[in-house]
Amino acid sequence: MTIGSFILKNALRNKRRAALSILSVAVSCALLVTLLTLQRELTIPPESEAASLRVIARNKVSLTQPLPAKQLAILDKIPGIVAVSPFSFFGGNFREETVTSFAQFAVDPARFQGLLVEGKIVEGSYDSFIKNRTSCFVGADTIKRYGLKIGDKMRFTGTFFPVNLDLEIAAVFQGTVDDRGVFFHHKLLDELMGDPGTVGTWYLRVASAEVANDVISRINKAFENTAAEVRAETERAFQMSFIRMLGNVKLLIGSISSVVVFTLLLVTVSTMSMAIRERFRELAVLKALGFRRRDLFGFILAESFGLAAIGAFIGIGGAWAMWTLSDLQKLTNGFLIYFEVTTRIIATGASIAALLGIISAILPSIAVSRMSVVEGLKTLD
Amino acid sequence: MGNPDVVTIRELSKVYRQGEINVTALNRISLDIQAGEFLTLMGPSGSGKSTLLHIIAGVDRPTSGECRVQGIDVARLSESELADWRNQNVGFVFQTFNLIPVLTAFENVELPLLLTRLRGKQRRQQVDTTLELVGLADRKHHLPKQLSGGQEQRVAIARALVTDPTLIVADEPTGNLDSHSAQEVLGILQALSRNAAKTVIMVTHDPKAAAFGSRTIHLEKGELVA
Ligand SMILES: Nc1ncnc2c1ncn2[C@@H]1O[C@H](COP(=O)(O)OP(=O)(O)OP(=O)(O)O)[C@@H](O)[C@H]1O
Ligand SMILES: [Mg+2]
Repeated sequence: MTIGSFILKNALRNKRRAALSILSVAVSCALLVTLLTLQRELTIPPESEAASLRVIARNKVSLTQPLPAKQLAILDKIPGIVAVSPFSFFGGNFREETVTSFAQFAVDPARFQGLLVEGKIVEGSYDSFIKNRTSCFVGADTIKRYGLKIGDKMRFTGTFFPVNLDLEIAAVFQGTVDDRGVFFHHKLLDELMGDPGTVGTWYLRVASAEVANDVISRINKAFENTAAEVRAETERAFQMSFIRMLGNVKLLIGSISSVVVFTLLLVTVSTMSMAIRERFRELAVLKALGFRRRDLFGFILAESFGLAAIGAFIGIGGAWAMWTLSDLQKLTNGFLIYFEVTTRIIATGASIAALLGIISAILPSIAVSRMSVVEGLKTLD
Repeated sequence: MGNPDVVTIRELSKVYRQGEINVTALNRISLDIQAGEFLTLMGPSGSGKSTLLHIIAGVDRPTSGECRVQGIDVARLSESELADWRNQNVGFVFQTFNLIPVLTAFENVELPLLLTRLRGKQRRQQVDTTLELVGLADRKHHLPKQLSGGQEQRVAIARALVTDPTLIVADEPTGNLDSHSAQEVLGILQALSRNAAKTVIMVTHDPKAAAFGSRTIHLEKGELVA
């Protein structure tokens, strides 16, 4: 026998309790990791370097107000802009769907190419998209989800726009933050709408992150005191403004997480106290045999820490496996694209579990170190 | 007997303070115990037998007076020095055996050796020898619950012996045993003092048990009576 096997035998003496405490740590850790991941997903939009280089310019009044198409000529002259394309949200319903979870945008294909920095064409060619005025450029996730292929037709019923689209798939992209979107020719939309001379927003790319702010203020200035004043912001800031609409989700999830941790703390502390309380007499015997306080503290800590560690391993590992291997996009009907359990979240969960293991060992250890051998021997089993 | 004194007790008192009232458990006791003696402590309940035994064994401290074991004033040791001292010098045998229920007989006996520097192989040899001495070599892989009371107490004696201590202290070791098992246990303790020159101090209520000892002292209300 070694000290290690002695600790193990002690920890497993009440197998049901050990199993239940491991389970409660596991379930709580899984819940905690899930909550932290959800919080992150909801509050931090998918980040990419490219997103900080892209700027969206919209009508200052509101996002739903269009902008004059002739602004393009002015934008083209603003230094620091590498590429700019009209970018109009169509928001139609695919086939017979009443709610379509992927967006469609009207763009200028030739100009839009300059905005595509991440991702690559996996099927078809971008050229054929540029050449065919009724074609579209589709994300691989959408292709996969509906079992589509190059040359297939996609029909969209307009919701904002009183027109329908009949598009032919010309190319497929993959590797962007969101591989679901459908892009089509702005000219087609203009035609169907009878050339209103407007666009939804301008989508542009700046030369570098350092000049982004300068470019943004130049754009805003350029249209000051015109009929259509513009508000430009980075793609990231634009996404953040959506997230603000979700309200104080962060606070809410934060408080739920704290409750989970606190409950878990109560459970582990009381379980450990009970486990040690039951063994008071034995611990007094160990003291009589010559084990020091710090030896006993070590035993209790190892046991408590060990149970917490196993629980955390199962819980965090389980949550990771579940969120990494499941098709969340399908599960949430496209609400969540990614549900990434990051290393940081895993580390947070693991540290909390470790801390719990240590804290739950402290109270019983204090009780044990205060107990005199004579006192401990008098306690009944 | 010309043996040197292992334990010398001088003017030893233990007073428990309970609120306003002082309970004198031991009142200025002086006593010498020689090496190899099998001393039995008798007396009515509450007379201070256990208290005296605990102080000698270094698990309790006197209020005043002195208790030296092999010249060491045990009360002056710090908590951790005392722990080491107990491991090396004292073997405990309790009325209720107090074996660790999740450990086998062998592992229970091995437990105090985990605090020593002995290597695994030496440890196992020593445990085997000790278990043989108490006649339980064939039961070493049994858990306490698979042993009879008498066997459990013999395992406990083996645990007390395995570190080769100077002193063996036993508080009513036969209190929970039938007369046959009690005889076995007492026989072992007697043999230890006679053949292995161990100093055994045993508290008992039973005059028949006390008869196994080489000397009996009586306590009454915390004082020695002749
Ligand atoms: N922790 C304590 N606090 C107060 N008084 C105590 C405490 N421990 C023991 N006593 C008192 O000290 C006296 C001696 O107790 P002790 O346990 O030594 O008696 P004992 O001779 O071993 O009795 P028994 O035969 O019943 O075991 C008793 O009067 C007891 O009430
Ligand atoms: Mg007693």
